[in-house]
Amino acid sequence: MKHLKYTAAALALLAGPALAQDTMVIGVSIPAATHGWAGGMNFHAQQAIDRLEEVYPELDFVLATASDPAKQVSDIEDMVATRGISALVVLPFESEPLTGPVASVADQGVWITVVDRGLSQEGIEDLYVAGDNPGFGRVSGEYMVDMMPDGGDIVVLRGIPTTIDNERVEGFEAAIEGSGINVLGMEHGNWNRDDSFTVMQDFLSRYPEIDAVWASDDDMAVGVLAAIEAAGREDIQFVLGGAGMKEMIQRVADGDSMVPADVTYPPAMIATAIEMTAVGMTSSTPVSGEMIIGSVLVTQENADGYYFPDSPF
Amino acid sequence: MHVRAGPVMPGEARLELSSVCRSFGPVQVLFDVQIDLRPGEVHALIGENGAGKSTTMKIMSGYLQPTSGEVRLEGKDARFPDSQAAEAAGVVLIHQEFNLAEQLTVEENVFLGRELKRGPFLDRRAMRAKTAELLDRLKCHVSPSARVKDISTPDKQMVEIAKALGRDARVLIMDEPTAVLTNREAEVLFELVERLRADGVAILFTSHKLDEVKRISDRVTVMRDGRVIATTPTAEMTEDQMAEAMVGRELTDLYPARRAPLGDAVALKVEGLDVPGFAQGVSFTLRQGEVLGLAGLIGAGRTEAMEGLVGLRRSTGRVEIDGAPVTIRSPREAQDKGLVYLTEDRKGRGLLLNMGLRDNLTLQSLRDFTNPFLDNKGEDEALTKAIEDFDIRTPSRDARLGNLSGGNQQKLLVAKVMLTGPRIVIIDEPTRGIDIGTKQQIYDFIHRLAEEGVSIIVISSELPEVIGLADRVLVMRRGRIVGEVAGDEKTEDAIVRLAMGLEGEEDRESESA
Amino acid sequence: MSTTTEQRAPGRARPWMDLRVLGPIIALIVLIVVGALMNPNFLSYANITNVLARSAFIGIIAVGMTFVITAGGLDLSVGSMAAFIAGLMIMVMNAALPGLGGGLAVILLGIVAALVAGLAAGWINGFLITTMRIEAFIVTLGTMGIYRSLVTWLADGGTLSLDFGLRTALQPLYYGGLFGVSWPIITFAVVAIIGEIVMRRTAFGRYCAAIGSNDTVARYSSVNVGRIRLLTYVGLGLLVGVATIMYVPRLGSASAATGVLWELEAIAAVIIGGTMLKGGFGRVWGSVVGVLILGLIGNILNLTDAVSPYLNGAIQGVIIVLAVILQREGKAGT
Repeated sequence: MKHLKYTAAALALLAGPALAQDTMVIGVSIPAATHGWAGGMNFHAQQAIDRLEEVYPELDFVLATASDPAKQVSDIEDMVATRGISALVVLPFESEPLTGPVASVADQGVWITVVDRGLSQEGIEDLYVAGDNPGFGRVSGEYMVDMMPDGGDIVVLRGIPTTIDNERVEGFEAAIEGSGINVLGMEHGNWNRDDSFTVMQDFLSRYPEIDAVWASDDDMAVGVLAAIEAAGREDIQFVLGGAGMKEMIQRVADGDSMVPADVTYPPAMIATAIEMTAVGMTSSTPVSGEMIIGSVLVTQENADGYYFPDSPF
Repeated sequence: MHVRAGPVMPGEARLELSSVCRSFGPVQVLFDVQIDLRPGEVHALIGENGAGKSTTMKIMSGYLQPTSGEVRLEGKDARFPDSQAAEAAGVVLIHQEFNLAEQLTVEENVFLGRELKRGPFLDRRAMRAKTAELLDRLKCHVSPSARVKDISTPDKQMVEIAKALGRDARVLIMDEPTAVLTNREAEVLFELVERLRADGVAILFTSHKLDEVKRISDRVTVMRDGRVIATTPTAEMTEDQMAEAMVGRELTDLYPARRAPLGDAVALKVEGLDVPGFAQGVSFTLRQGEVLGLAGLIGAGRTEAMEGLVGLRRSTGRVEIDGAPVTIRSPREAQDKGLVYLTEDRKGRGLLLNMGLRDNLTLQSLRDFTNPFLDNKGEDEALTKAIEDFDIRTPSRDARLGNLSGGNQQKLLVAKVMLTGPRIVIIDEPTRGIDIGTKQQIYDFIHRLAEEGVSIIVISSELPEVIGLADRVLVMRRGRIVGEVAGDEKTEDAIVRLAMGLEGEEDRESESA
Repeated sequence: MSTTTEQRAPGRARPWMDLRVLGPIIALIVLIVVGALMNPNFLSYANITNVLARSAFIGIIAVGMTFVITAGGLDLSVGSMAAFIAGLMIMVMNAALPGLGGGLAVILLGIVAALVAGLAAGWINGFLITTMRIEAFIVTLGTMGIYRSLVTWLADGGTLSLDFGLRTALQPLYYGGLFGVSWPIITFAVVAIIGEIVMRRTAFGRYCAAIGSNDTVARYSSVNVGRIRLLTYVGLGLLVGVATIMYVPRLGSASAATGVLWELEAIAAVIIGGTMLKGGFGRVWGSVVGVLILGLIGNILNLTDAVSPYLNGAIQGVIIVLAVILQREGKAGT
């Protein structure tokens, strides 16, 4: 059913402004679901839109997913031109290329909500909803320190080389500094299961003794766990992923010793952003400002609260 | 001394090769070649395929360097490092396959690599004017702004010559300039050659057509096996003497008379063959062991009709082989019924030039060498036999086909088609661009085949060939068979009159349209 | 006219002193030596097995790609096709689980589904290219996008995961094997040997080279050009299916990120191996060497800290270009 909705949204985009006379239109522009986290984010965006359209009959939503920054800019231009949007919720594919176009939309008096990745120029957006990347790294690092108070040897898998990844790794490194935890090796697994499988296999060949792995992402944790299992290595005590993929949360809840915890970077932040924008459009409640959704450590005790069985992620 | 009209200045060589030798690896292909080109002289270079004509021309024009020996331009040493240097010195080679950029216009081609400029921009107007002037001089009516791919073959040749003249050529070397031209187009070329001679250009050309050589050249050099056999004033040599000098032996009659009487059995019967756009209502019969000629002007639809017959083009019509009706939708089906077609386009359609002899030879009959794996030994034996039977001369068994001479390529093509064991063979232009010795071998071969009971259709634009070879000749014009000549009526005159539509209206453009 | 430089026909070159043959092998040997010098674990049984097994997917696909390219074609869709087939295989097996139980029947069903899907996908590419006469580049660019979207759609933007019970049953397909050699390696070897025989010793291989060299000549030589071309794409599709059968058990999941850039890796491997991109000459063993070269580069870079990981792509690029330069015949210009 969801697929039909996407199509419907696309058709509505083409149908033009005739429908949108008395209702207010909120545009939502997000990257396409090319990896697990983005898939979850797409899911939450669609769910939030479905729910809010029922709650607020005077609101109409346009959702567009883009596979690259240029497509995202075109999407936004189309929304302004053909749907006359009053608010735009945007999760920028990349910060730099989107800054100019979003700023010009803001100049036309459109409410701007920026999600997750900030624009490169401050003060454009009315509302900023974001996860906390340095915090994500810090929480992960602190957990490592807690688990290995006497120090230990770990390997780290990084994501796609981006600011997000750099902030996380810097936060992590700051947290483990002086703890006796020694990072043997760090390679890019590109937030991809196959790549991380390969990288982990090679880490296992290279280091005969590894105490723990910071996979930094749940997709990568899947690949890492498969590689460890295949090699039959017993030295590794646990793997710490991140982002809150439902399969991983479930393993945490089940008390899997290899996956004792997870760190959230909730894709649901897009839902929060859309909802707050809707509130801001329909009421006089002040919603502008900045909202940082912190990264939370999920352990067996609190795992149930972070498990979304219907989400694809 | 031989004297002809035109400013011939005897003794003053403009370009001269002396004691030139050339080897490729261990193989020496030129031995002490001595040849000189004089201003205002037309010099013919003749020889069998592989005699060393191409290498000689390439050394003259800087495409190849001599291993030893001297190249002199107006008495000064001039071993050109490359063809650009030669062109800069006014020595230009026009290849048999033209060196034109098909997608560019005539004007762009003429000035390719030495464009006229005004400041940083191309001076199109000046280039167009200059091109028009050059074409005018050649009496060529193609527009400077036409794309080369859209113009006819003779026009392309004119563009090549214009390009050479635009570079102030003082020595013009042409590799078989008339091979791709009809007789009428060749006439235009000859007129041009006369004018260039009068302008004092030194001209060297090669040709397999000895009547041409006789007509337009002042001197002739004969090469054989990498050596110059003779250089004499053309007037002192008959065509037969030239041929004998080339081949190195006495030539018997090119077209031997039929020795075995012709039977009555009909091998192939075609009724109402239509190939949309090219041929309509083609009907004929071919008897077993008969050689049937198919004549007509270029563009009359002969090739297309036969390609339709063997399933290479879409066609309709009734076809019977040995009295039984057959349907032929692909060359494979035709081949399975013993009917094969040997293309006129050796390089584009007949052979894989970048592959070896063996792979080319067996390609069409590869099924016979499959068991289910390829029988490499059998293939090698087939190659050995083909090299023997067809007298194929090759630098080595492993050579790429592109490195064989045209005549030897043609022999391999014939061998390839014959390896399928056909009973009916359609041979399109069997001797295009090959030398007289090889021609004779191919004629002999066609006769032997016919004696063995194979039925043969020969498409040829060379009238002596089609008359000499065929028992009967069909003539096509504008996609239809317009007549048949046999016995005493089988004359050039009769065929030409039929091909031209009796009126003798010479309208090539509409024929090829 | 017979007097041009003596060049030998491809495939029949002298076995020694010929860089066209030795180029890829030299590159491979250099990589192995470098790897062994940089890390003592490089030549360990576990590492060698890892590299061979993970190269198997691309390797199996590259064998099929060799035929497509030799016949003058190209297939850009194989990476997405693998992702799509993987997704389909997982869905079929999950759906059949309640009815058939977690045993051999479901596994066989999954295997058949993958092979049939591969054949069908390859046939569609081939049909559009040969019968509809559309450029191979355009057709497979189109199907590349289609399969990639389809798998995203099937997975609802997320990941398709094999039922946990099935995963254990299926895992031996990747991790198991005979005499300590895992199935992917065995399959890769078998596919490569069959491919080499087909290319070198059957009419089909010869026809592929002839078509790639000049398809008009092939047509005039009674070769059914359309059918042979179609078969190269169908064969490639089938091999993508085979590769997927071993990919799925490794992680038990498929997503939009599965098989990204596999097509380029396969094409690069084929070209490194000495097959001509414009067609007319191909060699399967070369493609196998090409795949191993690509696999080893990644492995060596992971095993050492010598190079910044940001530069991995650059190192790969340099080695690809070098391997191809090594194969060129002596002179440049003429």
